[in-house]
Amino acid sequence: MNSKKVMIVFQKELMEVLRDKRTLFTTLLLPIILYPILIVGINAIMTRQTGVLEQQSATIAVQDSVLSSVSRSIIADMAAIDNYSFIPAGENAQELYDSKDIQAIVSIRDSLTSEGLTTYHVFVQYDAANERSGMVYSKIRDSLAGSEQRIVEDHLRSRGMDPQLMNIVDVRKIDTASTQRKMGMMLGMFLPYIMILMLLTGASVVAADLVAGEKERKTLETLLVSGIGRMEIVIGKYITIITLGMLSLIVNLFSISVSVKYMLSQSGVIMDGAQLPFGAILILLAAMLPLATLFAAILLSISTFSRNMKEARSYEQPLMMVAMMMGMISFLPAVEMNNLMALIPVINIALLFKAVMIQDYQLSHLLITIGSTLILDVFAIWGTIKLFNTEGILFRSDDDSGSIKGIKKNKANFFNPYNGLVYFSLALMLLYYLGSYLQSKDLATGLVQTQLLVIALPVLLILRLLKMKSNEILRIKIPRLTEVLLIPFIAIPASIIVALFSQLINAIYPFPETYLENLGQLFMMDLPLWGSFLVIAVAPGVCEELMFRGFLPRFFQKYSMKINIVLSGLMFAAFHLDPFRFAPVFLLGMLLAYLTLRSGSIINSMISHTLNNGFALFIMSFAGAPFMKFILRGEDDLHYWLLVPALLVLALAIYMFHKVTGDKECVE
Amino acid sequence: MISVKNLTKEFPKKDGSVFYAVDDVTFEAKDGEIVCLLGVNGAGKTTTMRVLSTVFQPSSGTAEIQGWDIKTHPDKVRENLGFLSGDTGLYNRLRVHEFIRYFGRLYSMDDPTITRRMDEMAELLDMKDFMDKKIEFLSTGMKQKVSIVRSIIHDPPVMIFDEPTSGLDILTARNIVAFIRSCKERGKCVLFSTHIMREAERLADRVVMIHKGKILADGSLDALREISRQTDLDDIFIHFVNQSDLETEVQAHEF
Repeated sequence: MNSKKVMIVFQKELMEVLRDKRTLFTTLLLPIILYPILIVGINAIMTRQTGVLEQQSATIAVQDSVLSSVSRSIIADMAAIDNYSFIPAGENAQELYDSKDIQAIVSIRDSLTSEGLTTYHVFVQYDAANERSGMVYSKIRDSLAGSEQRIVEDHLRSRGMDPQLMNIVDVRKIDTASTQRKMGMMLGMFLPYIMILMLLTGASVVAADLVAGEKERKTLETLLVSGIGRMEIVIGKYITIITLGMLSLIVNLFSISVSVKYMLSQSGVIMDGAQLPFGAILILLAAMLPLATLFAAILLSISTFSRNMKEARSYEQPLMMVAMMMGMISFLPAVEMNNLMALIPVINIALLFKAVMIQDYQLSHLLITIGSTLILDVFAIWGTIKLFNTEGILFRSDDDSGSIKGIKKNKANFFNPYNGLVYFSLALMLLYYLGSYLQSKDLATGLVQTQLLVIALPVLLILRLLKMKSNEILRIKIPRLTEVLLIPFIAIPASIIVALFSQLINAIYPFPETYLENLGQLFMMDLPLWGSFLVIAVAPGVCEELMFRGFLPRFFQKYSMKINIVLSGLMFAAFHLDPFRFAPVFLLGMLLAYLTLRSGSIINSMISHTLNNGFALFIMSFAGAPFMKFILRGEDDLHYWLLVPALLVLALAIYMFHKVTGDKECVE
Repeated sequence: MISVKNLTKEFPKKDGSVFYAVDDVTFEAKDGEIVCLLGVNGAGKTTTMRVLSTVFQPSSGTAEIQGWDIKTHPDKVRENLGFLSGDTGLYNRLRVHEFIRYFGRLYSMDDPTITRRMDEMAELLDMKDFMDKKIEFLSTGMKQKVSIVRSIIHDPPVMIFDEPTSGLDILTARNIVAFIRSCKERGKCVLFSTHIMREAERLADRVVMIHKGKILADGSLDALREISRQTDLDDIFIHFVNQSDLETEVQAHEF
């Protein structure tokens, strides 16, 4: 690689970027103007508005049902509040309150304790969602607190006791955190998020322009035929993105810190010698550099893959969303940095940030963070160079296989991996929104409706619309008798293994109680056993198989059977929206996919799926029965020794199934 | 000089089959000679030129530019090659001299040499007035001149022009045609592609006819006239296309 040429590309790209008014504005000028306006301006307005709120007058209706000297003194105390007027509550008090003519209703009642002591109850009715009413409450509460103190003291005195009795327990806090660290904690919460966001925004504006933009303006070919290698081009552009990202980050940070400092000095906060932790920010900027390189590499590959800027910008969106969500981890309480967290990109920076800000971090975490990010970065940039050298990607032509028009033109085109992922995502969304809505009403009906309406119906509808042969596409075909006879010997041991696996996970990493309760509800439905069997075993066995083993594999049929089995398992597991059961469901999904794809008949996996779910139902339903002692330990856990016979039977049965089905792989 | 040997470039199609954009193409272009790659749109002209200029990798076969193999020495090939097409984009935010210097530097030229070459070319192409202007403010004709200078700033012995006049008005196109002639005069090897028969007739010493990725005919205009017994280039071209279609049919019957 010729580093001189890399620098030539870098210089030129930088000059070009800095001459682009749009880029210059969004990455550099906007932050310089925006933060002072946002932070200082809004703060000033807020201070003013709070003042206005405090000065606002209010009318409060008072209903005194006690009419004693004590209740009168409480009212007299309240009447001393500036700008507030108190009226006796008439019958129309509630009406006045509803029409917002009065802002609160105070009613005083009393009761007698068993010792014969009069207790006063003061009810303050106010609207917490209304700022003005909220202010009224807080002022009345302050006044009441004063009244309470005085009344209790009077009482104590009248009984010949020392009012100091009230202060017999004196609680004081000793805060060891310096103002510096407190400020660090606050900054550590929101700064990582902002910094990650700023870095990405700055870098993404440039990245889209650098390759996709060159494609759009037809300059890429000119560059490719000139005297420079592709790797040098990629590295030159890559350094440009990193530089702009970091530059944008620094400008943003500078603008924020100046604004915050100004705001603090204006608002008269006692800084107690606390400074904005510039030293810490410098360490973090250094730690941000690897992240900048990682983002730059990913953004550059997106730009390389995209046909034009618009496409690049839209492909950048998911990356932004994911990074933003990961960056938000610093807002979560009780998530702390450890060696494992230090391995996860973005999250590690956010947590490190938090730790550095409160001056409580380990060097090892810093090093792991930087190291792991850099390793990922090497992979990402290597991938980008690969992409840049792939003609099919760099000169990607228009394809309309995803559009309705394209599908109509060529029906076979419909089944491509891209559409498969789109379909899966849509189904997932449908499940999440419609499914949970259906199940919220009545669990049993909801479950069946979900299976039929969300999972099976769309598949059949699409095939109908495309006028395809459902039987053929979904592999609905009578299997051979020998295959079917083997299925129970596969399904039951597999169920046992999967159940044991879940049990093991639960033992190592216990599931939350509420989760287990929700899962338990499934088996506690108010249905006869055959009804539960239909809902829990048959419906999913038929409907889920149609989608996961019949429909979805068609989208990926250009890949080998092995890849299809893994994909089917992954999607099946993801579809259950259940992180705790992901691994067991994944294994089960792969087994079911194997059964269908190997034999060419979906009936096999339908029976197997039904048997598997039926087995779980059987265990739950007969958990208490005496004959179950043989296989159960405790309430509903299986004996671990069952693993051995299960594995043996499963292995033998699969071996025979493999033999019986011969070599007719159905994914060509 | 350019020498192309059994060059094939295939692209995968969506249905899994292969599309031969360039199919076993062999031809040569000598120094001081203008060779025209003639064919209708989609015949494989641009793909051939992209392979020659190392933008694409050949699927099989190879080619040499000035003795350098496009597969083994792509960097040497690019050094010896000037490439110009009708719709090349320019970096709008750069000034003309910055743009040309950028490409000069990418060819590892030193700054004094670049300046000297640039001044010469500016004089020759009458560009002095706009060397300091930003490219976005230039007219199409001016931009075309900038592209020309860019393609020969490193004084390459071989020039490849891909549809150089497509999309240009007559006056600008005339600049290009004049420039191609001047390349020949300076002893360079020139390969240009077009689908306009008249252009081929006016410029080419030799015509290589390409259709559906395959070469139909290769020879001087006179030679092609003789073989096809036609005078007009349009008719000559159609003659060869018909002949090749007939051959494909015969082959199809044989199988």
